[in-house]
Amino acid sequence: MDGVTRVACVLVEGFAAAALERCEPVLREQPLAVVTGAPPATRVVEANARARADGVRPGSSDADATVRCPGLVRRLASLDAEAAARHALLEACLAVSPRVEEAGPGLVHVDLAGLRRLFGDEAAIGQQLRRQARAVGLEARVGIAASRTAAAVAARVGPTVHVLAPGAERATLAAVPLVTLEWSEALAATFTRWGLETLGDLAALPRDGVGARLGAAGLQAHDRATGIDRTPWALWSAPVFWEEAQGVEWEITTLPALTPVLGRVLERLCARLVAAHLVADALDVRLALASGGHHARSVALAAPLAEPAPIAALLTLDIEAHPPSAPVTGVALSARVVPRRAAPGGLWDPPPPAPRDLAAVLARLTTLVGSANVGTPVVVDSHRPDAWALVGFEVGGPDTAPSAPGAPAEPGGVSSAGDDSCDAAAGALALRRLRPPRTVTVETRDGRPAYVGDPAGGGTGVVTCAGPWRASGDWWDVDVWARDEWDVALADNTVWRLVHDRLRNAWLLEGVYD
Amino acid sequence: MLVHQLLRQGAMTELVGPLSSGRTSLLTLCLRDVTRHGRLAALVDTDHAFDPVGAAAAGVELRHVLWVRAEGQRRRALKAADLLARCPGFALVALDVGESPPRLSLGAAFRLRLAARRSGVALLVVGARRVVGGAAALSIAARRDRLAWAGPGPVPRRLAGMRSEFHLVRKQGAPATAEAERVWWTA
Repeated sequence: MDGVTRVACVLVEGFAAAALERCEPVLREQPLAVVTGAPPATRVVEANARARADGVRPGSSDADATVRCPGLVRRLASLDAEAAARHALLEACLAVSPRVEEAGPGLVHVDLAGLRRLFGDEAAIGQQLRRQARAVGLEARVGIAASRTAAAVAARVGPTVHVLAPGAERATLAAVPLVTLEWSEALAATFTRWGLETLGDLAALPRDGVGARLGAAGLQAHDRATGIDRTPWALWSAPVFWEEAQGVEWEITTLPALTPVLGRVLERLCARLVAAHLVADALDVRLALASGGHHARSVALAAPLAEPAPIAALLTLDIEAHPPSAPVTGVALSARVVPRRAAPGGLWDPPPPAPRDLAAVLARLTTLVGSANVGTPVVVDSHRPDAWALVGFEVGGPDTAPSAPGAPAEPGGVSSAGDDSCDAAAGALALRRLRPPRTVTVETRDGRPAYVGDPAGGGTGVVTCAGPWRASGDWWDVDVWARDEWDVALADNTVWRLVHDRLRNAWLLEGVYD
Repeated sequence: MLVHQLLRQGAMTELVGPLSSGRTSLLTLCLRDVTRHGRLAALVDTDHAFDPVGAAAAGVELRHVLWVRAEGQRRRALKAADLLARCPGFALVALDVGESPPRLSLGAAFRLRLAARRSGVALLVVGARRVVGGAAALSIAARRDRLAWAGPGPVPRRLAGMRSEFHLVRKQGAPATAEAERVWWTA
C-alpha cells in the first residue's frame, strides 16, 4: 500500500478519440472513429461515445463502421495529439495532488493524502479532479478507493465520481459484472468458459491456481478482482518543457490560414499552464514543412504570460517576419515555463499588475528617466549615512515578513479636533534629503551651532539644536568618514539635519525634517 | 486611521505644506501602511529627496516600493506619475512634486484624476503648495504645531518628534461652508 490510504483514479474513456476531440472540439458533437492503416486495411482503433452508441467498436473495419454509422467522421490516429493529451491530463491531476502516477493512456492515479483540508470530502476532491481535466479539454470519470486497482474499477462503473467507502471495496467490487470491464479476448473467453460472471466470482478463486493456469495476465485479473495493489507507485513529475502539437491534413501556405491553427494549439497549451499555475517565459515554435524539413523559431516573451491571445499575436508577428520556406503541415509549440507569482491575499487589495502591463510601464519609465532612476530601493548593510542601492522592481508575494526593527507597531498617533492629548503612538519623522548635501557656513557658540549661513541665500539663526551625534566608519579603507550630526530648528520655522564633516572640517546641510 | 482618511482608491488626494510641516512623514506613513500589507506602492520623486534608509526604519517594506527619480525634471515626473496611475495593480501612486512646483494645467490635472479613477489607484500628490486644484478629491494642508526635544539636561540632545496639524482645505462634494476638519499627528 506504500503508506497510501486513499487513491483516486482519473479515467478518460476512448482516450485516442478524446485526444482528437481536444484538438478539434467540434468533433464532440459528431460520431468519431479513430482509424489506422492504409485502405482497404483501415481499422478502427477507438471511437467516441456517439459512435459507440451506433455500434462502432474498436477493431472493426472501416467499411463496417461506415455502414453502421453513416455520418461517421474518421480521423487518423495522432501520436502527437495523444501525447499532448496524456501530459495535459497528468498536469491537471498534478494541480490537485503532488503524487500522481500514469497508469496508461487516459488513466492517472492520484494520491489523496492530505487533500481533505484543501478541497473537502472525497466526492469534492473527485469533482475537483474532473474540473481540472475539463479545463484542459478532457472529460474524465473518477473512482476513489483504498487501492489503485479498486479505484480503477470504480472509475469504470457507476457514477462519474464513484467513491467506494473505506472497508467496503471488496464487497462493492464483487458485484461488478465482468463484461463491464475490458479484458483480452483470451481472458474473456476463459472467464466465460469457467462460468464467471462477476469480479466476486473471480476473486473467490485461489490466486495461485489462477496464476498457474492463466499466467501473469490471470494474476493481474485476480488482483483486479480483489482490489489489491502489488506494484509500487511510479510517481510522475512535470517536464521542463511543455509541448503541444497538431498536424493538419492539408498544406497551409498563408499566414491567415496558419493563425487559427496556432491559436488552437496555444489555447490548449495555455490551459495546461494555467491548470499547473505556471506561465510561459519563452516559446519554441516548430513548423513541420511539406518539403520534409522543419522551420524552428524561438520567441522570448517580454514578461511571463499564460494568455493565448497576446502570445498568438507575438508568434504571428514573428512568423510574418520570418516566414517558412515551404507549406506547413504541422505545428508544435514548446513552452519554457516559470512559476506564476502569487497575488496579494487581501480581499479588498487590488491584484498585482499584469506582468505584461508592468513590463510595458517599466520599459516606458526607463526610457523616460533612465534605467538608473527606476527600481526598488534596498538598504545596504552599512553604517554609512544614506547607504542604499537601487535594484530592479519585481512584484513580490504576500507580505509575511515582520516590519523593520524600530518601526512602531501601529501608524502614527492621531487626535481629532479638540482632543489635544492623544499623541500616544507616534509615527516616524521623515527626512527630505539634499543630494548632494549643501555646504553651509556655521557660527558656533559654546561648541553648538548658533547661526547657519547659506551661500545660496542669506543666513538664519538657530532657535534650538540637539546633538552632537558622532559617527564614523570605514577607517580601514580609503573611503573613511567621520561626522557629527546636529538637529537644528531655525528661525524660519524649518528643522534641518546639520552635519559637521570632521575630516574636511566642513558643515553640510544633509536634509530637512518634514 | 489617518491613512484610510487620506487615501481613496480611484481618487486623487493632495497633501501640501511648507518644509518641516510633516507632509513627508505622512507620505512615509502612507507608504508603510500600504506596503506592510503586501500591496504595491510607487513613488515618483521629483527632487530625489526620498530617504530609503529612514523609510525602512519607519517600517516601509521597500521591496514593495517602485521608486522613480526624476532628478528635478518636473515634466518627466508628471509623465511618470501619469504612466503609473494608468497601470492597475498599484495600491498607491505618490507624486512628490518638491518645493517649487508649477501649477499643473487644468487638462493635465484632470488627466491624472481620470487615470486614477480608471485604474482604481490611490493617487497622492505631495508638495509645498497646491498644484492640481479642483482635480483633487481631497486637499489637505499640513502645518507644524510643535517640536519635542529630549535630553538628560537643560541642553537637548535629541529631536524627539514633531507634532503636525492637518486641516481639510477641500473635499469633493462637501459644502464650502462646512467647518474645516483638523487632525493632529505626531511623527
